[in-house]
Amino acid sequence: MTDPFEDLLEPVVPVDPDPRFARRLRALLDAAFLSGGAMPVTAVQGDVVYASVWSPDAARAAAFYSSVLGWRISADGRAVQGLGQHLGLWSTPSHRTTFLSHAVADISAAVDRVRAAGGTAADAVQEPYGLSAECVDNQGLPFALHQSSPGAAQETFAQGEIVYLTMFVPSSQAARDFYGSVFGWTFTPGQIDDGWQVQGPHTMFGLHGGHPSSAVLPMYSVSDVHAAVARVRSAGGTATDPVQMPYGITSDCVDDQGLRFYLGQL
Amino acid sequence: MNQPSGVRPDPGLTLLDLYERALPQVYGYLLARCGQRPVAEDLTTEVFLAAMDSCRRGNVSEVSTSWLIGVARHKLVDHWRRLERERRGLRVLGGLAAGCEDPWDERLDALVARDVLAELSAQHRSVLTLRYLDGLPVPEVARCLDRTVHATEALLVRARGAFRVRYQGREEGTR
Repeated sequence: MTDPFEDLLEPVVPVDPDPRFARRLRALLDAAFLSGGAMPVTAVQGDVVYASVWSPDAARAAAFYSSVLGWRISADGRAVQGLGQHLGLWSTPSHRTTFLSHAVADISAAVDRVRAAGGTAADAVQEPYGLSAECVDNQGLPFALHQSSPGAAQETFAQGEIVYLTMFVPSSQAARDFYGSVFGWTFTPGQIDDGWQVQGPHTMFGLHGGHPSSAVLPMYSVSDVHAAVARVRSAGGTATDPVQMPYGITSDCVDDQGLRFYLGQL
Repeated sequence: MNQPSGVRPDPGLTLLDLYERALPQVYGYLLARCGQRPVAEDLTTEVFLAAMDSCRRGNVSEVSTSWLIGVARHKLVDHWRRLERERRGLRVLGGLAAGCEDPWDERLDALVARDVLAELSAQHRSVLTLRYLDGLPVPEVARCLDRTVHATEALLVRARGAFRVRYQGREEGTR
């Protein structure tokens, strides 16, 4: 009697990869050979390694989030200190969003994938914190690529850290096409219309279509959401009364410069 | 065979020499099993960089394509474990609809069996892939998964059961 499972046998069939990929990997391998093998050995799928509040006035944002979340801001006003995540602040007249930097194992391969998927990407440059490339996705949302190995997945979150990211986009199809081909992310339908759960990045990530423009909304962890809601309101923002969700108590907020965010007591 | 040191070529150089021939084998192996180009490229990168790392550390007895396929198996199993961890987290937070894949997703293999495999847990998917798609004997599967032979046999029985239930469910669904 034959075992039906034997039909599954699939011998290795050689497939030639994209020649550009083959050349890049060859270069990486040569470099690893010459450098004694000190190259990153784990590929990543767009894990968020840095997030920055982009608002018209970073100093004003610093004051707001310090009073609401207890953020400690560096002397130059650009970095949040003392957290397990790399968070920052930046002034820009044109966007109200959370700017994300995504880790990739091979940055030039990722730059090619961004361009092929209809985004724009500057060539990677060496920054003090590593090799980075500035990009814009296929719906106008700026982001960055960062060549690095993945961090460990966070299990617990200190107050003021990001526990969840939601990307609002005009077209969820365009976003799924783009981020699917750049990072290999996959998407499953969520509970709300045109809402999608993203699989791939360590940070929990959602996608929601049907918005006039793109923006990334963070959910910040707080130890007492009722107290945090009161702090949002007294700092000049707005916050809905907290509601119990299956995963915790949350509030929808807008800061004093019009950036939307969420609070979550998980 | 004993050779005086210095006569044996540097294993790192052997790997570089092997690269052109081995790349389509490793990439083909991974692409057929994970089904997505960016993932296959990332895993292929992991395989060769990890292989070079092992060569540099001197803990490789034979640099060959079949050794690289073995490294690829480990990377694939790790990849599925990682995916499962992420999915578990998402279920807690968002309560996502389990198992429905987006139709735009590139499908390189239309077999129902593949879809069913992809729905299984990382453990079940890994053990069935290594045992049946790769055709490895159980002791080798056990080595890949860091389990005893006995535990692997038990896992195989459970995985086959889970596979059959889903596969038959699909067939009934299409009638």
